[in-house]
Amino acid sequence: MPDTMIQCENLTKRFGHFTAVDHVSFSVAKGDIFGFLGPNGSGKSTVIRMLCGLLEPSEGRATIGGFDVAKETDRIKSLIGYMSQKFSLYDELTVHENLQFYGRLYGLSGAALKKRYDELIALTHLEPYLTRRASLLSGGWRQRLAMACSLVHQPQVLFLDEPTAGIDPVARRELWDLLFEFSSNGITLFVTTHYMDEAERCSHVGYIYLSKLVVCGEPDALKRLPSVNPPGTRRLDVTCEHVTTGLKAVRKLEGVQAATVFGQSMHLLVSDALPEQALRDELARVGIPQADVRPIAPSLEDVFVALTNERENGAAK
Amino acid sequence: MKNPFRGFSAILYKEFLVVLRDPLTLFFMLFPPLIEMIAFGYALDNDVKHMATVVLDEDRTVESRQIIERFVNTDTFRVVGEVRSVGELAAEIRRGHAYVGLQIPPNFTRDLRAGRNARVQMLIDGSSSTIAGSALNTAVGVAFRESVVTLLGETGRRDLPFEIRPQILYNPAMRSPNFFVPGVIGVVLQIATTFATAMSLVRERERGTLEQLLVSPLSRWGLMLGKLIPYLCIALFMATGLYAIMHWLFDVPIAGSFPALMVATFVYIFCLLSLGLLISTRAQNQMQALQMSMIFIMPSVFFSGFIFPRETMPAIFWWVGACLPTTYFIELARAIILRGATLADFWTHLVTLVGMGAGLFALCVFRFRQKIG
Ligand SMILES: Nc1ncnc2c1ncn2[C@@H]1O[C@H](COP(=O)(O)OP(=O)(O)OP(=O)(O)O)[C@@H](O)[C@H]1O
Ligand SMILES: [Mg+2]
Repeated sequence: MPDTMIQCENLTKRFGHFTAVDHVSFSVAKGDIFGFLGPNGSGKSTVIRMLCGLLEPSEGRATIGGFDVAKETDRIKSLIGYMSQKFSLYDELTVHENLQFYGRLYGLSGAALKKRYDELIALTHLEPYLTRRASLLSGGWRQRLAMACSLVHQPQVLFLDEPTAGIDPVARRELWDLLFEFSSNGITLFVTTHYMDEAERCSHVGYIYLSKLVVCGEPDALKRLPSVNPPGTRRLDVTCEHVTTGLKAVRKLEGVQAATVFGQSMHLLVSDALPEQALRDELARVGIPQADVRPIAPSLEDVFVALTNERENGAAK
Repeated sequence: MKNPFRGFSAILYKEFLVVLRDPLTLFFMLFPPLIEMIAFGYALDNDVKHMATVVLDEDRTVESRQIIERFVNTDTFRVVGEVRSVGELAAEIRRGHAYVGLQIPPNFTRDLRAGRNARVQMLIDGSSSTIAGSALNTAVGVAFRESVVTLLGETGRRDLPFEIRPQILYNPAMRSPNFFVPGVIGVVLQIATTFATAMSLVRERERGTLEQLLVSPLSRWGLMLGKLIPYLCIALFMATGLYAIMHWLFDVPIAGSFPALMVATFVYIFCLLSLGLLISTRAQNQMQALQMSMIFIMPSVFFSGFIFPRETMPAIFWWVGACLPTTYFIELARAIILRGATLADFWTHLVTLVGMGAGLFALCVFRFRQKIG
């Protein structure tokens, strides 16, 4: 496959007796925005570190652009850009100096450095902050600078480990606009995140849970998976007051298979046998007379919850 | 072919900026050595001068006053008070008010005039052996001189029947700073430089910037050399300052050539910085780096011949000393500063230092793993 950019086969990493990444296999095509999700400590950063050649895989292999990440580390260095989880700018240096440093580190100098520098500043709109110390930048601007730094050598793949952690919603949206811009320039993006709304924007997502890859694919395809939509069930969104009280009540109902709070409403997976009126009656009984019930398609979160439960139940059996 | 120093200029650029921007690091690199130098320099001065002395003059004659004068004129003693009894004399020493008590008995002048054995009693505080030894030597010298002068007068001879004419080459005043200060510089340089580079890579590891460097095409040689050179410049600047203090404050002249001394210093600092880098390739955090640096610094203080002569050490410590760059540097620096030796005279020392520097640097490059975890 000429258009496969990242390929993992049974990628495994053990730290002593602890297996941080357990036989993970997936592939990412050129130009994809691959969202990598999973709870804390599930092994996301460890996968990225192996893909960047920073950690030696204990087992399995991975290639980027056809080059083995462990054996041909020098070859992949020019292909990849990496923005680590706790980026990792030089606080003492200004925005200008940080970019200059990374440019030189990748062997740029003179006119080539100047050209690339101007391009990146224009792309990230960092112009007004050039003389500011990196330590004095706000979160969103720091991440922009970090991205600019990891793009100096025009990599084909960009690994971003939680680029939007701890950033306000507006800056987060702007950062994603920037990511789409990179993507439209043909860069393959590999992004880890804890935000479902970000996952929805990815062309492909992977979900890792307890060191194992649970699922991987296009968001829409995942939402149509049979195990997410068990036959004879439907998903409902119930908007009402006192959501938590309501949730406790409906959970007890026969036919409600899953119920989670979702902002001002709750998402239910109910069997077709359960009439809508039964829900309303139960809610009225606990003092919620008004409820807006409508059928919905599963969200990515529903997908991950369903698949995780399935896997845990499978393991228990 | 790939450039083995890829990324060197970038690291150099960044490291200079980081070091110069971080006033705290710079301060901790430059300031303590100055204080240590001045403190060590004075503390290790065991030329004993102007020792506090109490006097019990029971004779009270011109002659008794003259003999006290003779003692004071040696510059070793300084009269801080007079007492009335032997008991008080001892008490003053016990209380720490004086190191020496001088007692001139009532019949001193009479005995002297009569040609009998005139005695002066001296009490010396022996708690510090250096001080006691020095007081004793000087006092015996004074007595001997007085006796000889008296005897010469009696026999009518004008010159001494036997005399030794010592000629002390190098450091003729036998001042101890001349001996200690070059050693102090060696030790102080080691403390400042080893810590500085031991911290530098570790800090990048802790901050996470190291990961960023490792995914770049930066080479190991480029990284290490780029990290080393800024500190080399600062340390050379600092060394120049220390030599200036040695010259102006401690009055130790440099008998040999200053450029030769700087060459020796350059090679020595290169060794120390490489050692620091070697530590930082292994240490996982700043605490470890600090402890590992101490492991190398302590032996340099004790076994390099900085304070205790290596010749009198048990063989094992002598060999420990033989493995330390500080040992070679101190011997080399003393030779150049005190005896005006040339590098050619001490080429084995210089070659040893160059070898150690090259070895340590190569070791830290090869020990550095371009992986994490
Ligand atoms: N160098 C290491 N030595 C030992 N254990 C490690 C090491 N690096 C990571 N781990 C462990 O491996 C597991 C996976 O860590 P990893 O950082 O990959 O998780 P993550 O999915 O990125 O989590 P987060 O969302 O918190 O960033 C964790 O339990 C972590 O403690
Ligand atoms: Mg992580």
